[in-house]
Amino acid sequence: MKFKADEIASVIQKEIEGFQSQILTAEVGRVIEVGDGIARAVGLSSAMAGEMVEFSNGTRGLCFNLEENSVGIIILGDYLQIREGDEVKTTGALLSIPVGNALIGRVVDPLGNPLDGKGSVISSESRPVEFPAPGVAQRQPVKQPLQTGIKAIDAMTPVGRGQRELIIGDRKTGKTAIAVDAILNQKGGDVICVYVACGQRAANVASVVEALTEHGAMDYTIVVSASAADPAPLQYIAPYAGAAIAEHFMYQGKHTLVVYDDLTKQAQAYRQLSLLMRRPPGREAYPGDVFYCHSRLLERAAKLSDELGGGSMTALPIIETLEGEVSAYIPTNVISITDGQIYLEPDLFFAGVRPAINVGISVSRVGGNAQTKAMKKIAGSLRLDLAAFRELEAFAQLGTELDAATQKQLDRGYRMVELLKQPQYQPLGAADSVISIYAGTKGYFDKVPVTKVAEAEVELLQFMQDEKSEVRNALIKELALTDEIEAGLKAALEEFQGRITANPKYSAAK
Amino acid sequence: MAAASTIRPSRVLEDPSAKAVARVYAQAYLDAVTQAGAENPLEEITSFQDDVLNLNPQFADLLLSEALATDEKIRLIEKTIQPSASPVFANFLRVLAEHQRLNLFPLILNLAWLEQEHRAGRQRVLVKSAVPLSEEQLSSIQNRLQSALNSEPILIPSVDENLIGGLVIQVGDTVYDGSLKTRLGSLRRQLRKGYLHEIQSGRDRFSHPEGN
Repeated sequence: MKFKADEIASVIQKEIEGFQSQILTAEVGRVIEVGDGIARAVGLSSAMAGEMVEFSNGTRGLCFNLEENSVGIIILGDYLQIREGDEVKTTGALLSIPVGNALIGRVVDPLGNPLDGKGSVISSESRPVEFPAPGVAQRQPVKQPLQTGIKAIDAMTPVGRGQRELIIGDRKTGKTAIAVDAILNQKGGDVICVYVACGQRAANVASVVEALTEHGAMDYTIVVSASAADPAPLQYIAPYAGAAIAEHFMYQGKHTLVVYDDLTKQAQAYRQLSLLMRRPPGREAYPGDVFYCHSRLLERAAKLSDELGGGSMTALPIIETLEGEVSAYIPTNVISITDGQIYLEPDLFFAGVRPAINVGISVSRVGGNAQTKAMKKIAGSLRLDLAAFRELEAFAQLGTELDAATQKQLDRGYRMVELLKQPQYQPLGAADSVISIYAGTKGYFDKVPVTKVAEAEVELLQFMQDEKSEVRNALIKELALTDEIEAGLKAALEEFQGRITANPKYSAAK
Repeated sequence: MAAASTIRPSRVLEDPSAKAVARVYAQAYLDAVTQAGAENPLEEITSFQDDVLNLNPQFADLLLSEALATDEKIRLIEKTIQPSASPVFANFLRVLAEHQRLNLFPLILNLAWLEQEHRAGRQRVLVKSAVPLSEEQLSSIQNRLQSALNSEPILIPSVDENLIGGLVIQVGDTVYDGSLKTRLGSLRRQLRKGYLHEIQSGRDRFSHPEGN
């Protein structure tokens, strides 16, 4: 096929002839002060709060403070290129970013500019970064499970579609790992994931992107990154941008999962901006509206009513605590906004319990509604059993003589803890988690030495897949433990138990 | 006098809070002078800046800076300025000295000019063009603006070659941009948007509707 040059030229000519431009009217002001990501301008007498403005070099900004004689602007870009006396003009628009299918698989900054070197994001749709959360009538209760693929979470602190579940813990306790595993587990499903990196080390973001790519998760994931090196205004708007991207899909009736990693850094960026803008500091020098900063973000996560398409946006905000201090300002704020929290502990982490979830104080306020029927049936008493085990364990360390029943409970507890350990990047399907936990709680691993439980579990799942696929498939299909399935599962587990007791590997001295 | 001084340019760095204070003094001074019956209310204050302060920079430093205490400044004013100034202006300077606002004097002068223009129903209009405008063009712009605005425009023409062609007119904070540069920019955006749409819809032509 050959292009006809004159044909193309005539099309362009026609377009240009049809071009009518009106005189552009804009409100302008002048920069009187600039530094550290903010600028102050005089003029702009009709600027609106939250309105996008444009500096003379094309950098965009956001009206943050409207004062008697000047306007405080946060600069979304390189503030070193802006000088005193520069012109700044209003655009009459709110800050918005491109959204839609074109973003899937991309790594972008909070303004929608590509960071992955795969060319510009071609999208005809855009959405304001700040958007009101759906109201009461537009929502419905959370009742559909979102499988994270992590046994301990799916069993004890289940996450539902439209829920906000906080992941909280000290540095280096595996917070991001849980979020990434939850994203990996959506592979092949109907959930679109957004990972927002806010104030993270660029190297960490790169390794998350690599892990997602390696496991094929970038086919349904969008990464929004404002690393620690980016100016504070970008870190501040990054979670809102991620929410806008997810919201677009939610209002189309799709399911989304958005991870904010992490909101502590966002609060710090917001504190920096507020102090530079001379807003009065409050507790820990955060501004008075830091609660609203997080609540309006997390309220955007919702399960929409059926009239609106029934889409959902599940949020997994991450908060980093200092030395386990959950009663600091930002952690308490976010705990009170979210529908539960997954609490990670460094002690457990270093004791080899990974994910290092403290099941005692981790909760999900949506509860059993967001669990598959099968999991609900078997995991009901798991939390209490584990809590009782922890108490007994502390008691047993005193070296007292224990009766047989207590010893048995302890042994079961040790095995359950082993069973709830899970390596990174290996999320389990819903049916497999049910099989594992069922086997554990019913005592099928009691004969296995504690150190071999993980190995035996792998073998069990392999056995179920290879030899008892009818039971497993029925479980996958129903996701409920009907009498028939339970009977099949019991028979299969007994057969498996017989096999491992015969195996010298597992009968070796405890 | 009128033509040269009506477009007295502002040379002072912007400081919004100082400006708010200075505006109060400027308005009060204008009121006082007008009440005293001066024919040209700003003649004296302007000539004080142009003929006294500008010609004697050391004296200006002494008076406007913080180097002297308030009483010393008042004594200085009484000794040097009062004999040759009108009573209203001398009092004005004394009031400024007493309130320690003499450093705002240049700003007050500027704002007094703007205020007087405003009271006379005139408004400054910046006109930017790519090439210098002739008298004829300026007067036609003046006439058009006069019918569009409710006040008499004072044109401040300037030349900016980057505009390529056309005019940019600024009244207060509002800019009316009819320059060729901006029009070309919006033409480019419009063309790009149109072709982006073409590319996106065209991309589907090459893929099988039911997938690979």
